[in-house]
Amino acid sequence: MSGQRNFLDRLMSKSSTGVVTPEQALRRLYLTLFLRGRSARGIKLGSSPTSIGRKLATVLSFYALFGLFSLSFIHQKVFLVATFAHAMTFVFLGLFVATTAGEVLFNKEEGDILLHRPIQPRVLLWAKVSVIVRVSLWLAGAFNLVAFLVGATASDGSWMFVPAHALSTALEALFTASTVVLVYQLCLRWLGREKLDTFMTATQVIGSVLLVLSGQLVPQLMIRNTGTSFVSVNHWWIGFLPPAWFAGFDDALAGSHAMASWGLAILGLAVTGVVVWLAFTQLADSYQSGLQSVAESSTSKPSRTRRNSIVALTRIPPLSWWLRDSVSRASFVLTAAYLLRDRDVKLRVYPGLAPMLIMPVITMLPGRNGGMSTGAFGVAFAGCYVGLVPLLALGMLEFSQQWQASDVFRLAPMKGPAPLAHGARRAVLFLLAFPLLCVFAAMALAFGRNASELILLLPGIIALPIFAMIPCLNGGGIPFSRPTDEGKAAGRNFKSIGVMFSSAILAGIAAFAYKASWFNFFLAGEATVVAVAYFAMRASVTNAHWKPIE
Amino acid sequence: MISTNALTKRFGTQIAVDALSLEIPGGQIVGFLGPNGAGKSTTLKMLTGMLEPTSGSATICGFDLTRESIEVKKRVGFVPDSGAVFESLSGLEYLTMVAALYGIPEESAVERIKQFITFFDLGFDTLTDKLLGAYSKGMRRKVVITAALLHNPPVVFFDEPLDGLDANAAVGFKALIQTLAHEGKTIVYSSHILDVVERVCDRIIIIDKGKLLLDGKPDELVAQHNSGTLEKLFTHLTGGDELERRAEDFAKTFRK
Repeated sequence: MSGQRNFLDRLMSKSSTGVVTPEQALRRLYLTLFLRGRSARGIKLGSSPTSIGRKLATVLSFYALFGLFSLSFIHQKVFLVATFAHAMTFVFLGLFVATTAGEVLFNKEEGDILLHRPIQPRVLLWAKVSVIVRVSLWLAGAFNLVAFLVGATASDGSWMFVPAHALSTALEALFTASTVVLVYQLCLRWLGREKLDTFMTATQVIGSVLLVLSGQLVPQLMIRNTGTSFVSVNHWWIGFLPPAWFAGFDDALAGSHAMASWGLAILGLAVTGVVVWLAFTQLADSYQSGLQSVAESSTSKPSRTRRNSIVALTRIPPLSWWLRDSVSRASFVLTAAYLLRDRDVKLRVYPGLAPMLIMPVITMLPGRNGGMSTGAFGVAFAGCYVGLVPLLALGMLEFSQQWQASDVFRLAPMKGPAPLAHGARRAVLFLLAFPLLCVFAAMALAFGRNASELILLLPGIIALPIFAMIPCLNGGGIPFSRPTDEGKAAGRNFKSIGVMFSSAILAGIAAFAYKASWFNFFLAGEATVVAVAYFAMRASVTNAHWKPIE
Repeated sequence: MISTNALTKRFGTQIAVDALSLEIPGGQIVGFLGPNGAGKSTTLKMLTGMLEPTSGSATICGFDLTRESIEVKKRVGFVPDSGAVFESLSGLEYLTMVAALYGIPEESAVERIKQFITFFDLGFDTLTDKLLGAYSKGMRRKVVITAALLHNPPVVFFDEPLDGLDANAAVGFKALIQTLAHEGKTIVYSSHILDVVERVCDRIIIIDKGKLLLDGKPDELVAQHNSGTLEKLFTHLTGGDELERRAEDFAKTFRK
């Protein structure tokens, strides 16, 4: 360590050419953080780019695959094709931005790293948003690949659709990202730091759930109404729908060229301009104070009543019988607390489970003119969906921003993570699966199903223990023990879609058994298989050891 | 170099820093002490532009903290006690990113980083191959210290800088800050390790409940209060006189 004298002066003697600007450095930083995730333990740099590239390619492929729905609109009018494409793009981008923006825009740990550096708040904000918009464009581009072709070959379309749609999609991405930023800025102004976190959480969770729900409903409505006048540029209310503005842009440039389409296009441009102006010029200066506010405080204190009620719940039967083991009880309380309080967890879990709500509801809905009802299948489908809630939720609950705190589990005198996984599993069953089951049963009755058909919920209920045990296998299911990875946010939506298909298969078999009058045999068979599988899985979970930290 | 005038920070009804007025000239190493929750970190965060003061004013190198915050930040280095870094960047990526934020060209930055890692006895391979999430606490702390000094700031704030450093690195670090002070830099050193503070610092500032309690040279303060050591003076001033009795009471709970 000799030669410390003037050591910094020697360092400063280099010329100042080839400077990477702060803007470039920050954009590079946030893109890297997005692709790699914010946390890494025991990861070597050399091994990360391949897996990141592969993951991203998989996610984009899924989006492109989902874009095949556009083929339902082949040879339709440009406005209809474009409205579908923009509506779905809006849903996907909205979901992506809502779930990632809060974390990117107001990261608590970032304050200690960046707030004392000479960076203008506007530059920091732009760097973050530019990455959000860039990734949004990748997703939108992948989803719209087929739509470009369908739009160009629409009955009133032309090759001009390709550049027009590319431009309108970029505008839509900018509009979506700016709107989210604007909402956050306004929250800061009006609500202050105390309520910001709560409001951000509520907005993101409700927004994400609504977006997922509309993502399911939009194609349903549009595909069922293809060829009708449901989506028309001439409806007075169409101007209230943001996707229609951008569809109007496509139609004005590469479709009917109608005056109404020009009106929608101008409206879209104007609203996007105003939102961008407000978000990035008028309110950008308050961004730094927003970051400071988030860094200053923790989330608002939960009320004493709520804190006590979680613990109190575990002391009264039947939960007290179910949670006799102290570690499982502690894990139950931890999981329940995070499900009710933690923004990051709520944002991951509730929007991730939102598709659970809409698909069974659609299948249980009484059909128009009796044509749409799916009868017994609908109720069985709802039951199977409930069975899948713990499977998905436990997988999502493994991730947390405070994952390093889970070291305390490894320090405790336990040979493996089984009691922790059991506690988390029971919290998910109690707080998510059972209430949802009750909701579906009530809905089935409300939609006019015969009470005797509620028995069709049983296949899902019987499968519950198995579904809930799967994430706990091989030392998994430890709550909040893995770092969150923003790169996975986009892929999570597709996990839900995969789950929908698999539950439909089980429900189909159950409904067939019900109609063929051998439902009781089916239940007995299922119960036997489940019992054998459950005890085998439970033994495996109990004997599992800790996974290596790496 | 650093001047504060009735600097105050309130969080709701709680006063974290209460009208703190200080003058710290260049070339001085100032030990900034106080018990937990005294307002040390809040003061440092205000002086580095991370938190906005509720009232009062401060200047650093002649620049006003609130009106010229970017100029202040260009002249300040800060090692936060959290030691937070972007864990999914490699050490080199992180440091070149920080250098870019100060307008340091990448080539120069890499040269400087090499100097620092030689000083801290780190391998360049470690810096390029491993992500920061995989670093030990001490290695990460070395990267954070490097990031704070990379732009050669005239004022440096250290909040518990030795946390995680091994004995050799700690000794080297103490020598480093003394060298930096001899070169005219102002060092504000916040720590709970009082014997290190006593040996390294030219001046001690003790605060409690956001208020200034004492300000002066360590040996003079100890002599004035007849306390024998800085540790005894500190515990006396901050209500820690009964610590031994409380420790005894606490230990009794294990005997039951």
